[in-house]
Amino acid sequence: MTRKLCEDIREMLVDYADGELSPGQSSEVTEHIETCENCRKLLTALQKTLDLATVVWENGLKETEAVKKPARPKPRKIHWFRYAAVAAGILIVVTTSIVWREINRPQKTKISFEEIERSITESANAARLLAATELLVDYPDAKEIVEQQYRYIAQAYPRTPAAEKIKVKIQ
Amino acid sequence: MNEIIADFTVLENLPADEKILELNLVDIFLAEFGRLKRVIAGMGLNVADCEDVLQDVSIRALRQSQKFGTKQECVRWLIRVTINQCLAEHRRRRSFRRKAGEILKRRQQHKICQTDKKAVLAEELEIVRESLQKLDESLLGPVVLRYFCDLDSKEIGRILEVKSSTIRGWLRDARLVLAKRLLERGVEP
Repeated sequence: MTRKLCEDIREMLVDYADGELSPGQSSEVTEHIETCENCRKLLTALQKTLDLATVVWENGLKETEAVKKPARPKPRKIHWFRYAAVAAGILIVVTTSIVWREINRPQKTKISFEEIERSITESANAARLLAATELLVDYPDAKEIVEQQYRYIAQAYPRTPAAEKIKVKIQ
Repeated sequence: MNEIIADFTVLENLPADEKILELNLVDIFLAEFGRLKRVIAGMGLNVADCEDVLQDVSIRALRQSQKFGTKQECVRWLIRVTINQCLAEHRRRRSFRRKAGEILKRRQQHKICQTDKKAVLAEELEIVRESLQKLDESLLGPVVLRYFCDLDSKEIGRILEVKSSTIRGWLRDARLVLAKRLLERGVEP
């Protein structure tokens, strides 16, 4: 058997053992190993190493049977209670501050509807009296009556625009 | 055992465009735990190393920010990371093993003296174990994935991000190296 042929066949031996050669190449190798003892030995050794390696690997796998799956990492726990406590704290602080401000705010004087109505009526009366008095201003004989009227309006309706006008005129 | 082999069949049969809406790498890691253990056992690591590697892989899975489109891609990533972690572990412990190897050999020799048949098998297994340990880093991963995890060259190529023709070449080289070492040690096939 020529050395060159053996080298060529050895190149194909692994694929031959794995059944990955074409039918033509496969029969070529089969023919060769029937007559070449060295190549036949190598083929047998190829198979034997694989069998032995499988035993080695299986033994190794048996040893690793004790290795258990690591525990699945727990998803981060959300502490709702803590968040709720913080939220409640904020709520308490805000509510307290609002209530506190409300208590300490200077109270506005509340005016009732009757008071408004009375104020309007007084202003209207005062204005009507003032207008009537103004008509007498040009008559010299009525000077005393006018002054008397002014005093009356200022006294009777002191917080009206008419009373304010009269104060200015008297000054 | 059959379940684990069946798992690998599932990997091959997964549709290529299977989209996962909520791709959780840790969940996939836990689902593929048996498969990864098989890879690690094939890579020749002991129980303690196996735990370390799985721990490292799970941490990397937790930290992994890369997005995967399909479950297949996730599984390939996990297997690739596992193989790389195994090789790193081998490198880290090589000097330790060199010293411990001598002790183990002596113990093994003591065991061999039980019966002839058992002794022969134990010796052959030891030769193969040693040969696998001495196998080049680039060859060990493909050999384990092909012959222990039953993946084909194309899938191994996708996992290791290498052409499938290169994988075939590595597998040929590895098988021949292992067989020749067996013959060199005088084991009659």
